[in-house]
Amino acid sequence: MERAAPVIDAGLSKYDPLGRILCFDRFDSTTHGWTELIGNYDGSGDLGTVDEHMRDFRPPQLSNCSFFDVGTHGTLSGKYALKLATRPHRGHTATGIRRLTMAGRGRVRIETYFAFKAEATVGHELPASVAWDGNRHPSESQFGAFTVATDICADNGVRYHNVIRYQNTNLAGEMTQRWMYPVVPEPTPRDHQEGKFALPYAADFTAPDPDDWRTFDEPLELCVNEVPTKINWHYLRWDIDTRTRKNVELRLNDRVMDMSDVPVPVYPDRYSTLDNLLNFYFSVRTHAGIRNFLFLDSVLISVDW
Amino acid sequence: MRSTMTAVLERSALVRDELATEPYELPWAGEARFFVQAHELTGTLELTTEISPDGLTWCPADTPPVRVETPGMTSWLVTGFGQWLRVRCRVSGDDAPAARLRIYLVGKS
Repeated sequence: MERAAPVIDAGLSKYDPLGRILCFDRFDSTTHGWTELIGNYDGSGDLGTVDEHMRDFRPPQLSNCSFFDVGTHGTLSGKYALKLATRPHRGHTATGIRRLTMAGRGRVRIETYFAFKAEATVGHELPASVAWDGNRHPSESQFGAFTVATDICADNGVRYHNVIRYQNTNLAGEMTQRWMYPVVPEPTPRDHQEGKFALPYAADFTAPDPDDWRTFDEPLELCVNEVPTKINWHYLRWDIDTRTRKNVELRLNDRVMDMSDVPVPVYPDRYSTLDNLLNFYFSVRTHAGIRNFLFLDSVLISVDW
Repeated sequence: MRSTMTAVLERSALVRDELATEPYELPWAGEARFFVQAHELTGTLELTTEISPDGLTWCPADTPPVRVETPGMTSWLVTGFGQWLRVRCRVSGDDAPAARLRIYLVGKS
Protein backbone atom coordinates (compact mmCIF):
# COMPACT_ATOMS: atom_id res chain seq x y z
CA MET A 1 0.00 0.00 0.00
CA GLU A 2 1.38 3.39 -0.96
CA ARG A 3 1.66 6.03 1.68
CA ALA A 4 -1.06 8.61 1.40
CA ALA A 5 1.15 11.58 2.18
CA PRO A 6 4.87 12.37 2.23
CA VAL A 7 6.65 11.42 5.42
CA ILE A 8 8.07 14.91 5.71
CA ASP A 9 4.79 15.78 7.41
CA ALA A 10 5.97 15.50 11.01
CA GLY A 11 2.45 14.95 12.23
CA LEU A 12 1.71 12.18 9.78
CA SER A 13 5.07 10.41 9.73
CA LYS A 14 4.46 8.79 13.10
CA TYR A 15 1.39 7.09 11.63
CA ASP A 16 1.00 4.25 9.18
CA PRO A 17 -2.19 4.98 7.24
CA LEU A 18 -3.84 2.88 4.59
CA GLY A 19 -4.24 4.39 1.12
CA ARG A 20 -7.10 6.77 1.81
CA ILE A 21 -7.18 8.92 4.92
CA LEU A 22 -10.69 9.73 6.09
CA CYS A 23 -9.64 11.95 8.97
CA PHE A 24 -6.48 13.05 10.74
CA ASP A 25 -7.43 14.79 13.93
CA ARG A 26 -4.97 16.92 15.85
CA PHE A 27 -6.58 18.82 18.63
CA ASP A 28 -5.16 22.27 18.16
CA SER A 29 -8.56 23.59 17.20
CA THR A 30 -11.87 22.11 18.25
CA THR A 31 -12.62 18.47 19.00
CA HIS A 32 -12.73 17.54 15.29
CA GLY A 33 -16.01 15.67 15.48
CA TRP A 34 -15.22 13.69 18.62
CA THR A 35 -18.30 14.35 20.69
CA GLU A 36 -20.09 12.99 23.71
CA LEU A 37 -22.25 9.91 23.20
CA ILE A 38 -25.74 10.06 24.62
CA GLY A 39 -28.59 7.56 24.46
CA ASN A 40 -31.65 8.18 22.30
CA TYR A 41 -34.61 10.34 23.42
CA ASP A 42 -38.26 10.76 22.49
CA GLY A 43 -39.91 13.10 19.98
CA SER A 44 -40.36 15.90 22.52
CA GLY A 45 -36.65 16.11 23.32
CA ASP A 46 -37.29 14.83 26.82
CA LEU A 47 -33.86 13.74 28.03
CA GLY A 48 -35.61 11.92 30.85
CA THR A 49 -36.34 9.24 28.25
CA VAL A 50 -32.62 8.54 27.74
CA ASP A 51 -31.53 5.21 29.18
CA GLU A 52 -30.21 5.74 32.69
CA HIS A 53 -26.83 4.18 31.90
CA MET A 54 -26.39 6.29 28.72
CA ARG A 55 -27.31 9.76 29.93
CA ASP A 56 -24.04 10.98 31.40
CA PHE A 57 -20.99 10.13 29.31
CA ARG A 58 -19.45 13.59 29.84
CA PRO A 59 -18.32 16.14 27.25
CA PRO A 60 -14.81 15.74 25.81
CA GLN A 61 -12.33 18.48 26.68
CA LEU A 62 -9.26 19.98 25.06
CA SER A 63 -6.41 19.69 27.54
CA ASN A 64 -2.79 20.76 27.60
CA CYS A 65 -2.26 18.07 30.25
CA SER A 66 -1.53 20.27 33.25
CA PHE A 67 -0.98 18.85 36.71
CA PHE A 68 -0.67 20.08 40.29
CA ASP A 69 3.04 19.30 40.58
CA VAL A 70 4.61 20.41 37.29
CA GLY A 71 2.03 22.67 35.67
CA THR A 72 1.67 22.21 31.95
CA HIS A 73 2.98 18.89 30.69
CA GLY A 74 1.90 19.32 27.08
CA THR A 75 1.10 16.78 24.40
CA LEU A 76 2.97 14.84 21.74
CA SER A 77 2.02 16.77 18.61
CA GLY A 78 0.55 20.12 19.38
CA LYS A 79 -1.00 22.38 21.94
CA TYR A 80 -3.88 20.25 23.12
CA ALA A 81 -5.04 16.67 23.51
CA LEU A 82 -8.59 15.41 23.52
CA LYS A 83 -9.37 14.45 27.10
CA LEU A 84 -12.13 12.10 28.25
CA ALA A 85 -12.78 12.35 31.97
CA THR A 86 -15.07 10.21 34.10
CA ARG A 87 -16.84 11.31 37.21
CA PRO A 88 -15.35 10.07 40.50
CA HIS A 89 -18.03 7.39 40.65
CA ARG A 90 -17.35 3.63 40.51
CA GLY A 91 -18.32 2.30 37.09
CA HIS A 92 -18.80 5.68 35.46
CA THR A 93 -17.80 5.90 31.78
CA ALA A 94 -16.80 8.88 29.62
CA THR A 95 -16.93 8.64 25.84
CA GLY A 96 -15.88 10.42 22.68
CA ILE A 97 -17.55 9.28 19.47
CA ARG A 98 -16.86 10.16 15.83
CA ARG A 99 -19.57 9.64 13.23
CA LEU A 100 -18.80 8.75 9.60
CA THR A 101 -20.35 6.67 6.86
CA MET A 102 -18.76 4.13 4.53
CA ALA A 103 -18.18 4.83 0.84
CA GLY A 104 -16.93 1.28 0.34
CA ARG A 105 -16.11 -1.97 2.08
CA GLY A 106 -12.77 -3.34 3.14
CA ARG A 107 -9.93 -2.67 5.53
CA VAL A 108 -10.38 0.16 8.04
CA ARG A 109 -7.55 1.32 10.29
CA ILE A 110 -7.76 3.55 13.35
CA GLU A 111 -4.54 4.82 14.88
CA THR A 112 -3.89 7.05 17.84
CA TYR A 113 -1.25 8.19 20.29
CA PHE A 114 -2.81 8.06 23.73
CA ALA A 115 -2.13 8.18 27.44
CA PHE A 116 -4.27 7.16 30.38
CA LYS A 117 -4.24 8.27 34.00
CA ALA A 118 -6.16 8.24 37.23
CA GLU A 119 -6.61 11.66 38.77
CA ALA A 120 -3.90 12.55 41.27
CA THR A 121 -4.88 12.28 44.92
CA VAL A 122 -3.46 15.21 46.86
CA GLY A 123 -3.73 15.57 50.63
CA HIS A 124 -5.55 12.27 50.99
CA GLU A 125 -5.31 8.68 49.78
CA LEU A 126 -7.80 6.28 48.29
CA PRO A 127 -7.85 2.49 48.53
CA ALA A 128 -5.38 0.87 46.15
CA SER A 129 -4.02 -2.61 45.51
CA VAL A 130 -0.55 -1.21 44.80
CA ALA A 131 1.55 0.47 47.48
CA TRP A 132 4.03 3.26 46.90
CA ASP A 133 7.60 1.92 46.95
CA GLY A 134 9.36 4.78 45.22
CA ASN A 135 8.78 3.17 41.82
CA ARG A 136 5.25 1.78 41.80
CA HIS A 137 2.42 4.04 42.92
CA PRO A 138 -1.18 3.49 44.14
CA SER A 139 -2.44 5.49 41.16
CA GLU A 140 -1.41 2.63 38.89
CA SER A 141 -4.22 0.51 40.32
CA GLN A 142 -6.79 3.32 40.36
CA PHE A 143 -7.31 3.28 36.59
CA GLY A 144 -10.06 0.95 35.37
CA ALA A 145 -10.18 0.43 31.60
CA PHE A 146 -10.24 2.12 28.24
CA THR A 147 -12.08 0.92 25.16
CA VAL A 148 -11.90 1.52 21.43
CA ALA A 149 -14.89 0.40 19.45
CA THR A 150 -16.94 0.80 16.29
CA ASP A 151 -20.64 0.99 15.53
CA ILE A 152 -21.19 -0.26 11.99
CA CYS A 153 -24.42 -0.95 10.13
CA ALA A 154 -24.91 -1.77 6.45
CA ASP A 155 -26.29 -4.27 3.97
CA ASN A 156 -29.96 -4.07 4.93
CA GLY A 157 -29.53 -3.19 8.58
CA VAL A 158 -26.88 -5.66 9.72
CA ARG A 159 -25.26 -3.97 12.73
CA TYR A 160 -22.23 -4.88 14.80
CA HIS A 161 -19.50 -3.48 17.01
CA ASN A 162 -15.82 -4.31 16.84
CA VAL A 163 -14.55 -3.76 20.37
CA ILE A 164 -11.16 -3.79 22.08
CA ARG A 165 -10.70 -2.96 25.74
CA TYR A 166 -7.57 -2.63 27.80
CA GLN A 167 -8.61 -3.64 31.30
CA ASN A 168 -6.01 -2.29 33.68
CA THR A 169 -7.81 -3.45 36.80
CA ASN A 170 -10.84 -5.58 37.48
CA LEU A 171 -13.81 -4.21 39.35
CA ALA A 172 -12.10 -5.14 42.64
CA GLY A 173 -9.20 -2.88 41.75
CA GLU A 174 -6.74 -5.73 41.21
CA MET A 175 -4.24 -5.32 38.38
CA THR A 176 -5.16 -7.41 35.33
CA GLN A 177 -3.60 -5.57 32.34
CA ARG A 178 -5.53 -7.64 29.81
CA TRP A 179 -6.95 -7.00 26.35
CA MET A 180 -10.61 -7.95 26.24
CA TYR A 181 -13.59 -8.20 23.90
CA PRO A 182 -17.31 -8.74 24.50
CA VAL A 183 -19.21 -11.73 23.17
CA VAL A 184 -22.55 -9.89 23.05
CA PRO A 185 -23.58 -6.76 21.15
CA GLU A 186 -24.08 -3.54 23.08
CA PRO A 187 -27.61 -3.12 24.52
CA THR A 188 -29.43 -0.46 22.51
CA PRO A 189 -32.21 1.98 23.35
CA ARG A 190 -34.54 -0.09 21.18
CA ASP A 191 -33.70 -3.17 23.25
CA HIS A 192 -34.76 -1.13 26.28
CA GLN A 193 -37.96 0.04 24.57
CA GLU A 194 -38.75 -3.60 23.85
CA GLY A 195 -38.26 -4.51 27.51
CA LYS A 196 -35.11 -6.56 27.01
CA PHE A 197 -33.15 -4.76 29.72
CA ALA A 198 -33.14 -1.78 32.06
CA LEU A 199 -29.65 -0.91 33.20
CA PRO A 200 -28.71 1.33 36.14
CA TYR A 201 -26.52 4.42 36.10
CA ALA A 202 -22.83 3.58 35.59
CA ALA A 203 -23.53 0.15 34.09
CA ASP A 204 -20.95 -0.90 31.51
CA PHE A 205 -22.79 0.22 28.37
CA THR A 206 -20.56 -1.73 25.96
CA ALA A 207 -21.48 -5.06 27.58
CA PRO A 208 -22.89 -4.79 31.11
CA ASP A 209 -22.24 -8.34 32.35
CA PRO A 210 -18.55 -8.92 33.24
CA ASP A 211 -19.08 -12.57 32.32
CA ASP A 212 -19.69 -11.49 28.71
CA TRP A 213 -16.08 -10.36 28.33
CA ARG A 214 -13.17 -12.56 27.21
CA THR A 215 -9.43 -11.93 27.11
CA PHE A 216 -7.19 -12.14 24.09
CA ASP A 217 -3.43 -12.18 23.76
CA GLU A 218 -1.18 -12.10 26.83
CA PRO A 219 -1.14 -9.59 29.71
CA LEU A 220 0.55 -6.38 28.65
CA GLU A 221 2.15 -3.81 30.91
CA LEU A 222 1.92 -0.27 29.55
CA CYS A 223 4.06 2.74 30.45
CA VAL A 224 2.15 4.47 33.23
CA ASN A 225 5.47 5.86 34.47
CA GLU A 226 5.25 5.71 38.22
CA VAL A 227 3.02 8.65 39.19
CA PRO A 228 -0.29 10.10 37.95
CA THR A 229 1.26 13.28 36.55
CA LYS A 230 3.64 11.89 33.94
CA ILE A 231 2.28 11.41 30.44
CA ASN A 232 3.92 8.90 28.10
CA TRP A 233 2.24 8.57 24.72
CA HIS A 234 1.46 5.09 23.40
CA TYR A 235 0.88 4.13 19.79
CA LEU A 236 -2.23 2.09 18.98
CA ARG A 237 -3.12 0.77 15.53
CA TRP A 238 -6.19 -1.37 14.98
CA ASP A 239 -7.40 -2.90 11.74
CA ILE A 240 -10.86 -4.25 11.02
CA ASP A 241 -12.51 -5.41 7.80
CA THR A 242 -15.99 -4.17 6.97
CA ARG A 243 -16.32 -6.53 4.01
CA THR A 244 -15.99 -9.61 6.19
CA ARG A 245 -17.24 -7.90 9.41
CA LYS A 246 -14.18 -9.16 11.26
CA ASN A 247 -11.30 -7.96 13.38
CA VAL A 248 -7.88 -8.15 11.78
CA GLU A 249 -4.99 -6.97 13.94
CA LEU A 250 -4.16 -4.80 16.92
CA ARG A 251 -0.79 -3.21 17.47
CA LEU A 252 0.23 -1.51 20.72
CA ASN A 253 3.73 -0.09 20.41
CA ASP A 254 5.88 -3.13 19.62
CA ARG A 255 3.22 -5.76 20.44
CA VAL A 256 1.30 -6.99 17.38
CA MET A 257 -1.77 -9.09 18.08
CA ASP A 258 -3.53 -11.21 15.50
CA MET A 259 -7.26 -10.62 16.03
CA SER A 260 -8.61 -12.72 13.18
CA ASP A 261 -10.07 -15.21 15.66
CA VAL A 262 -11.58 -12.56 17.93
CA PRO A 263 -15.32 -12.67 17.17
CA VAL A 264 -17.50 -9.67 16.36
CA PRO A 265 -21.04 -10.18 17.67
CA VAL A 266 -23.78 -9.15 15.24
CA TYR A 267 -27.21 -7.99 16.41
CA PRO A 268 -29.80 -10.69 15.72
CA ASP A 269 -32.34 -8.11 14.53
CA ARG A 270 -31.98 -5.40 11.90
CA TYR A 271 -31.69 -1.61 12.33
CA SER A 272 -33.06 1.26 10.26
CA THR A 273 -31.72 4.78 9.54
CA LEU A 274 -28.13 3.57 9.86
CA ASP A 275 -27.17 2.66 6.30
CA ASN A 276 -23.38 2.64 5.90
CA LEU A 277 -22.92 3.77 9.51
CA LEU A 278 -19.24 3.94 10.46
CA ASN A 279 -18.78 5.22 14.01
CA PHE A 280 -15.75 4.99 16.24
CA TYR A 281 -15.65 5.65 19.95
CA PHE A 282 -13.11 5.81 22.70
CA SER A 283 -14.26 5.38 26.26
CA VAL A 284 -12.71 5.30 29.71
CA ARG A 285 -14.27 3.64 32.75
CA THR A 286 -13.30 4.05 36.37
CA HIS A 287 -13.60 1.09 38.70
CA ALA A 288 -13.35 3.20 41.86
CA GLY A 289 -14.48 6.56 43.23
CA ILE A 290 -11.78 8.45 41.37
CA ARG A 291 -11.76 10.27 38.04
CA ASN A 292 -10.06 8.39 35.22
CA PHE A 293 -8.72 10.17 32.15
CA LEU A 294 -7.96 9.10 28.59
CA PHE A 295 -5.87 11.57 26.59
CA LEU A 296 -5.70 11.35 22.79
CA ASP A 297 -2.86 13.31 21.23
CA SER A 298 -4.19 12.73 17.73
CA VAL A 299 -6.26 10.20 15.81
CA LEU A 300 -6.03 8.98 12.23
CA ILE A 301 -8.64 6.88 10.41
CA SER A 302 -7.80 5.40 7.01
CA VAL A 303 -9.29 2.84 4.61
CA ASP A 304 -8.21 0.76 1.63
CA TRP A 305 -11.18 1.52 -0.61
CA MET B 1 -11.80 32.07 12.35
CA ARG B 2 -12.31 31.80 16.09
CA SER B 3 -12.87 28.44 17.75
CA THR B 4 -15.90 27.85 19.92
CA MET B 5 -17.09 24.82 21.82
CA THR B 6 -20.16 24.00 23.88
CA ALA B 7 -20.16 21.44 26.69
CA VAL B 8 -23.28 20.24 28.48
CA LEU B 9 -22.03 19.94 32.04
CA GLU B 10 -25.35 18.81 33.50
CA ARG B 11 -28.57 17.82 31.73
CA SER B 12 -31.09 17.47 34.51
CA ALA B 13 -29.25 17.75 37.79
CA LEU B 14 -31.38 17.89 40.91
CA VAL B 15 -29.87 20.23 43.49
CA ARG B 16 -31.32 20.11 47.00
CA ASP B 17 -28.43 21.75 48.78
CA GLU B 18 -25.30 22.26 46.73
CA LEU B 19 -23.71 20.97 43.55
CA ALA B 20 -20.34 21.77 42.00
CA THR B 21 -20.06 20.76 38.35
CA GLU B 22 -17.29 18.46 37.19
CA PRO B 23 -13.98 20.22 36.39
CA TYR B 24 -13.89 21.38 32.78
CA GLU B 25 -10.73 22.46 30.98
CA LEU B 26 -10.75 25.44 28.67
CA PRO B 27 -7.07 26.38 28.42
CA TRP B 28 -7.52 27.47 24.80
CA ALA B 29 -10.43 29.83 25.44
CA GLY B 30 -10.13 33.55 26.00
CA GLU B 31 -13.68 33.81 27.15
CA ALA B 32 -16.40 31.53 28.37
CA ARG B 33 -20.08 31.81 29.08
CA PHE B 34 -22.22 29.73 31.40
CA PHE B 35 -25.86 29.13 30.56
CA VAL B 36 -27.88 27.71 33.43
CA GLN B 37 -31.42 26.66 32.68
CA ALA B 38 -33.53 26.11 35.79
CA HIS B 39 -36.31 23.77 34.67
CA GLU B 40 -37.70 23.76 38.20
CA LEU B 41 -36.83 26.02 41.10
CA THR B 42 -38.12 26.28 44.65
CA GLY B 43 -36.25 28.86 46.72
CA THR B 44 -33.24 30.91 45.66
CA LEU B 45 -30.45 29.61 43.47
CA GLU B 46 -26.98 31.10 43.84
CA LEU B 47 -24.42 30.38 41.12
CA THR B 48 -20.74 30.96 41.87
CA THR B 49 -18.08 30.63 39.17
CA GLU B 50 -14.99 28.83 40.41
CA ILE B 51 -11.51 28.50 38.90
CA SER B 52 -8.55 26.23 39.52
CA PRO B 53 -4.94 25.88 38.40
CA ASP B 54 -4.95 22.07 38.59
CA GLY B 55 -8.55 20.85 38.54
CA LEU B 56 -8.23 19.83 42.17
CA THR B 57 -8.27 22.97 44.31
CA TRP B 58 -10.75 25.76 43.62
CA CYS B 59 -11.44 29.39 44.44
CA PRO B 60 -14.09 31.88 43.35
CA ALA B 61 -13.46 33.59 40.02
CA ASP B 62 -13.41 37.38 39.65
CA THR B 63 -17.09 37.21 38.79
CA PRO B 64 -19.88 38.08 41.22
CA PRO B 65 -22.29 35.25 42.12
CA VAL B 66 -25.53 35.17 40.14
CA ARG B 67 -28.83 34.89 42.03
CA VAL B 68 -31.87 33.28 40.43
CA GLU B 69 -35.39 33.41 41.89
CA THR B 70 -37.52 32.00 39.07
CA PRO B 71 -37.25 29.13 36.56
CA GLY B 72 -35.70 29.95 33.19
CA MET B 73 -32.33 30.56 31.55
CA THR B 74 -29.64 32.76 32.99
CA SER B 75 -26.17 33.44 31.62
CA TRP B 76 -22.95 35.24 32.45
CA LEU B 77 -19.57 35.88 30.89
CA VAL B 78 -16.24 34.77 32.37
CA THR B 79 -12.85 36.03 31.21
CA GLY B 80 -9.28 35.73 32.42
CA PHE B 81 -10.01 32.43 34.11
CA GLY B 82 -6.90 30.40 33.42
CA GLN B 83 -7.54 26.74 32.64
CA TRP B 84 -10.28 25.04 34.66
CA LEU B 85 -13.83 26.23 35.23
CA ARG B 86 -16.81 24.99 37.19
CA VAL B 87 -19.92 26.47 38.75
CA ARG B 88 -21.09 25.92 42.30
CA CYS B 89 -24.88 25.87 42.59
CA ARG B 90 -26.53 26.44 45.96
CA VAL B 91 -30.24 26.50 46.70
CA SER B 92 -31.71 27.99 49.82
CA GLY B 93 -35.12 28.86 51.21
CA ASP B 94 -37.59 27.90 53.87
CA ASP B 95 -39.78 25.40 52.03
CA ALA B 96 -37.79 22.39 50.68
CA PRO B 97 -35.54 24.36 48.34
CA ALA B 98 -34.60 22.50 45.17
CA ALA B 99 -33.58 23.16 41.59
CA ARG B 100 -33.56 21.03 38.44
CA LEU B 101 -30.75 22.36 36.24
CA ARG B 102 -29.31 22.06 32.77
CA ILE B 103 -25.89 23.70 32.56
CA TYR B 104 -23.99 24.65 29.41
CA LEU B 105 -20.48 26.03 29.19
CA VAL B 106 -19.43 27.73 25.96
CA GLY B 107 -15.78 28.55 25.33
CA LYS B 108 -14.50 30.87 22.60
CA SER B 109 -10.91 31.55 21.55
